[in-house]
Amino acid sequence: MDELDETQMKNQVESLKYQHQITREKTSVTIPELVKWVEETMTEDPFLNSELMKDNPWVETGKCVVL
Amino acid sequence: MGEMDQMKKEAEGLKSQIEAARKAAADTTLADAASGVAPAPRVQLKTRKTLKGHLAKIYAMHWATDCRLDHAMLMVSASQDGKLIIWDAFSGNKINAVPLKSSWVMTCAYAPSGNLVASGGLDNMCTVYNLKTPVVKTVKELDAHTGYLSCARFLSDTEILTASGDTTCALWDIETGKQKTVFLNHVGDCMCLALSPDMNMFISGACDSLAKLWDIRDGTCKQTFQGHTSDINAISFFPSGNAVVTGSDDCTCKMYDLRSDQEVISYQDAQLNSGVTSLALSVSGRLIFAGYDDFNCNIWDSLKGEKVGVLSGHDNRVSCTGVPQDGMCVCTGSWDSFLKIWN
Repeated sequence: MDELDETQMKNQVESLKYQHQITREKTSVTIPELVKWVEETMTEDPFLNSELMKDNPWVETGKCVVL
Repeated sequence: MGEMDQMKKEAEGLKSQIEAARKAAADTTLADAASGVAPAPRVQLKTRKTLKGHLAKIYAMHWATDCRLDHAMLMVSASQDGKLIIWDAFSGNKINAVPLKSSWVMTCAYAPSGNLVASGGLDNMCTVYNLKTPVVKTVKELDAHTGYLSCARFLSDTEILTASGDTTCALWDIETGKQKTVFLNHVGDCMCLALSPDMNMFISGACDSLAKLWDIRDGTCKQTFQGHTSDINAISFFPSGNAVVTGSDDCTCKMYDLRSDQEVISYQDAQLNSGVTSLALSVSGRLIFAGYDDFNCNIWDSLKGEKVGVLSGHDNRVSCTGVPQDGMCVCTGSWDSFLKIWN
């Protein structure tokens, strides 16, 4: 990575000031909500809900499989 | 103190303040919050289809958004044999083969409408093609980046986002062929990008080992995520839109929580010493499919941080992975020239 010139450095500082300002929520709020979202959505996830994978378009429905 | 030194000092000071603010927000860990969650079961997938047709390394693949159309499951792949191939992953048939002007392709993308695809690479350009004309036609060559095109993603048939080795990302108007917005902030080659589910934001990963969150409309960098110690090659939004998963040459994947602005977990293993090339999430985000240089795709339980499966079958580096919108399978593409569909 090349050294930044003055304009680029100025922009980096301005950007850092801007990024510093954001509101950061507490992880005790955000992480449990994320975990809950995942758990609720897992019922719609074919990899985790075998009921949904029964509809698997690549699996032969016939009884015999040619080897 | 010269002006540059003063600014460097100011930048360091601001970075420290941001770190302090992050620490102040960190009053629990994912390990604690997920302690009551049952571990994900071991995931053992079978190759359902091997897509054969490319003659050289595959560098990228992308599922069509509405991929289940007329009993077909559409996706596009890009290879350094100089072709894009549109596949029906269900039958394994090739629907279209688009010859590329430049064979040094690094990325491909399918527009949400299904009408267009795009490619780009060492030619520094993003070329957009119309799939719906009797013969596939080039719609536009988007030419303004001064470095290679590492990633492209359509917002619609009229707008596309690109990431480049020139350290910038850009939003283009496809009709005029001009850049509407240039996203400047990375200090290393941009390697990957991903759109937020609501399409208002995107994230980029770069060789400066940082991931950045951008507002598409006002062009500003909102947040910067650090922690990786090498190039970030792969990036994806968590399906909830509130977190981001990254994959890096430092052999780890990480999840960053947007709301608390910090890393919450790292997916790594002492025995894993190959770089991560690509990643895709299952529809709930619970499973992370990560492609590695060691020819495998490892499956991680995103909440527990444990490896729950491996997709072994490629004879060379896994360069790309993708899960379609309905979440019914995962596709891996490799330098061995094959794509595999697994579930």
